[in-house]
Amino acid sequence: MAPRTGSYSIDATLDASTRTLTGREVITWRNPGGKPAYSIRLHLYWNAWRNTDSTWLTQRKLAGLAAEDLERPAADFGWQQVTELRLVNADGTPGADLLPGFRYIQPVDQNAADRSLAAADLPVGIEPGQTLRLAVAWRAQVPRTFARTGAIGDYFFIAHWFPKIGVFEGDGWVARQFFANTEFYADFGSYDVRLTVPRGWVVGATGREVSRTDAGSATVHRYAQDDVHDFAWTTSPDFVEHTQRFEHPTLPPVTMRLLLQPEHAGQEDRHFAATAAALKYYGEWYGAYPYPQITIIDPAWQSGSGGMEYPTLFTAGTRWLAPRGSNEPEAVTIHEAGHQFWYGIVANNEVSAAWMDEGLNTFSDARVQEAAFQPDYYVRRFFGGFIPWQFTDIRLSRATDYNYLDGYRAAARRDAPITPSYLYWPGTHADITYSKTALWLHTLERLVGWDRLRQALATYFQRFRFRHPTPDDFFLTINQETGQDLNWFFEEAYASANVYDYAAERLESVPVSTRGFGDAAPGAAPVFQETRDEARFRTTAVARRIGEGHFPVDVLITFENGEQVREKWDGQARWQPYEYLKPSRAVSLQVDPDRVLLLDVNYTNNSITLHPRAAEAADRWTLTWVVWLQDLLMNYAFFV
Amino acid sequence: MTVISAIRDGLGRVRRAPALVAGVWLSTLLLALGPAVVLHSQIEAHLGASLMAETATSGVNFDWWNEFLAQASGVGQTFVPAMLGFAAVLDNLDRLADQRPLPPVLAVLVAAQLLLSLFLAGGLLDRLARDRTVGAAAFMSACGVWTGRFLRLALLVGPVYLLLFLHVHHWLFDDVWEWFTRDVTVERQAFGLRLALYGAFTAMVCAVNVVVDYAKIRAVVEDRRSMVGALVAGWRFVVRHPAKTSGLYLLNLMLAALVAAVYFVLAPGASAPVLAFAVGQLYIVLRVIVRLQFLASQTVLFQSKLAHAGYVAKPVPRWPDSPAAEAILRS
Repeated sequence: MAPRTGSYSIDATLDASTRTLTGREVITWRNPGGKPAYSIRLHLYWNAWRNTDSTWLTQRKLAGLAAEDLERPAADFGWQQVTELRLVNADGTPGADLLPGFRYIQPVDQNAADRSLAAADLPVGIEPGQTLRLAVAWRAQVPRTFARTGAIGDYFFIAHWFPKIGVFEGDGWVARQFFANTEFYADFGSYDVRLTVPRGWVVGATGREVSRTDAGSATVHRYAQDDVHDFAWTTSPDFVEHTQRFEHPTLPPVTMRLLLQPEHAGQEDRHFAATAAALKYYGEWYGAYPYPQITIIDPAWQSGSGGMEYPTLFTAGTRWLAPRGSNEPEAVTIHEAGHQFWYGIVANNEVSAAWMDEGLNTFSDARVQEAAFQPDYYVRRFFGGFIPWQFTDIRLSRATDYNYLDGYRAAARRDAPITPSYLYWPGTHADITYSKTALWLHTLERLVGWDRLRQALATYFQRFRFRHPTPDDFFLTINQETGQDLNWFFEEAYASANVYDYAAERLESVPVSTRGFGDAAPGAAPVFQETRDEARFRTTAVARRIGEGHFPVDVLITFENGEQVREKWDGQARWQPYEYLKPSRAVSLQVDPDRVLLLDVNYTNNSITLHPRAAEAADRWTLTWVVWLQDLLMNYAFFV
Repeated sequence: MTVISAIRDGLGRVRRAPALVAGVWLSTLLLALGPAVVLHSQIEAHLGASLMAETATSGVNFDWWNEFLAQASGVGQTFVPAMLGFAAVLDNLDRLADQRPLPPVLAVLVAAQLLLSLFLAGGLLDRLARDRTVGAAAFMSACGVWTGRFLRLALLVGPVYLLLFLHVHHWLFDDVWEWFTRDVTVERQAFGLRLALYGAFTAMVCAVNVVVDYAKIRAVVEDRRSMVGALVAGWRFVVRHPAKTSGLYLLNLMLAALVAAVYFVLAPGASAPVLAFAVGQLYIVLRVIVRLQFLASQTVLFQSKLAHAGYVAKPVPRWPDSPAAEAILRS
């Protein structure tokens, strides 16, 4: 199904008591590029936590996010050390030793302290289409969780854990170091992995368990999967295993395997329902999930490994108290299950264009939540975050809440999405990667209609299934399939940090009147005249573009007699006046009344009514707030 | 006297002092009105002539709310969903329990509330201890007399509260918490520990509070000028009657919890703001009653042990009549 460019046969042993991992692997790599490869690149992601000067931690420090990480005890850091690196001859015998030429490289920032990417020269170049076999041995210290991989107590979540070959595209390697903002990029291949863990511990992993063999106090679990580009696994003695089957009239069946924390007993139905909804809707909208199984991991509390996707396996995340009627754990489960499509199957480069999976997936999971998990009430947690309170007055909506308009609004100018993801400001990268993309995709949906956008996304999915699409591939497909040249929108929403803010500037509606000098009898001096027509009204409406962003918007003027006039404004000028002579007064002016432009950061200013009710609203909310304040003051008064 | 009798008599005294209840309730309302006016103007200004006001009037417009918060400053930043219904109670307790910092505007209001409470404390205790009407002039006189003394008491006790809320809280909820839960992977276990820490911290705060309460009671009932002496006397009383003082305090706390539970059941949602305000005010009145009940029942207990019901050493101040009134009387 997929081009099997990088395949792995791995043997790994976990010593849970010392939190060390040792492994051997044989990588079979075919050069997919257009030129010979004279060296190799190996990702050693766990070295991002070898020291506090790694690029990963430096970026975190830059954004002020690393305070706790910097103070960790030695045992909580992680590292990876390659102990053997050699070619494997065609007959399986050991070939040239590459270790002497092994070196760490830092192509992006030349940070000598970073060891998350290594290179080694090859004795002979690997021609395009030719295959290389590489034997690698390594040992590693499992960190206390960084970037969703690591251990806490008896819970191990082991991801981006084996020396992994980079991606060779066109003329060379595109492998980069591990950055705080970014995830991964790898080629598709086959994985055959034997994991040795303490006997009696439950294992969940990418793919399907092929065999299980006890060996003394340990058990070897063998997992295999074709046509994936990564392999992650977890083990713990505490998991409770549940399985359920996803069935659908037109989609292939999928076995859903859930490894649940014991304290979340009773929430298995919620995990299965959310996963099934993702398989169903993504399957119907874009294309079928191609693997026979999917594994859902319920991470241990405090593990920091929740909400992450790997091929055929993902971590969800719930709480001991998770009120029904609020989408926790549904939202994260749908999102991570959805990544099987946008990341797992359509495998864009997450290091440079993370929006292509995170943004598309946020947009899609929001649609699923709206379709399958309503109502969804806002929840706020109190007392150390343990006690949830569900606000049944606040129902979350797809357009603004699931697309995270609030997050985007605060960070709208921080970065343009076209910026390579690893260069985003670390503190706000999610607001651009996830939120802005979801918002502009939803805007696109409202602009061209769901049917056309869905068809375009389905074509994109089918066209780039098991491939690595670029942003241009995406934009080209959307333009082709919608039959519209939408580059004007992409150039601004994607290629710039321009902010959109349209507003209703002015609305006035008065009886038609005229004062001034009119014509008198021929030859006579002009005569001052004053006319007033109480039966007709002159309505003046002005729409304004406050932000730098341009977007065509409708302008809707509503009159007292119910008549409505809808104007099309191209949204280019800074302001646009409209004038009407009507038998009725105007009551309101709305700019973008259907809220097509979800990227508009200030929608309150998009309308004007001649019968404003702001004071009434302020009365109402102030009354409610006063009780809260009195209660607060009473708490403190208690001490006097 | 039993603890139950103290509760009953305390409630009786509060019931016989409706003006106190009304006055304290009104003081909280008046204190809240100033910032409320500011918030009102901010909301009104943000909504302007927008149609968004339509939905903000008929229910929660969460989209507008977030937009408002994104640009709000000062009082406006405190206008958060947690103020809705019973969540307000949780939010405010959570702020104390987890020591969430007060925004500057709230810190100023809390300081004002503390000063107001300090000023009223003497008058309230004097009235509850006498268990008879003293008149507004005598009440204000007592407030004036005791403000200075209670300010000195606050200077003595303040550092203890600061120690508790700054250092002990930090130690419990940062150091101890981190130490115990660092490797815990079961949320339920962590929550159990959290509850235990809340319990321990509350017990410490209550222990200080009960001593301070009896210090104030002894100061007023025995007309003490030395606040060091009053504090020591309060401490002695608690130590000599540990079961009754702590039992009474605990029952009063349960009464407070009962009031919160009633509000939990009755608090309306955001769709009925006037009703929510009315029920909210009823809840605040009940909170005032409970606070006065703490003072009244503890005073009853003290008087039953070391004085007698209604005894206050300091006489009710009397002012001479005006010369005109004297002349009328003489005529």
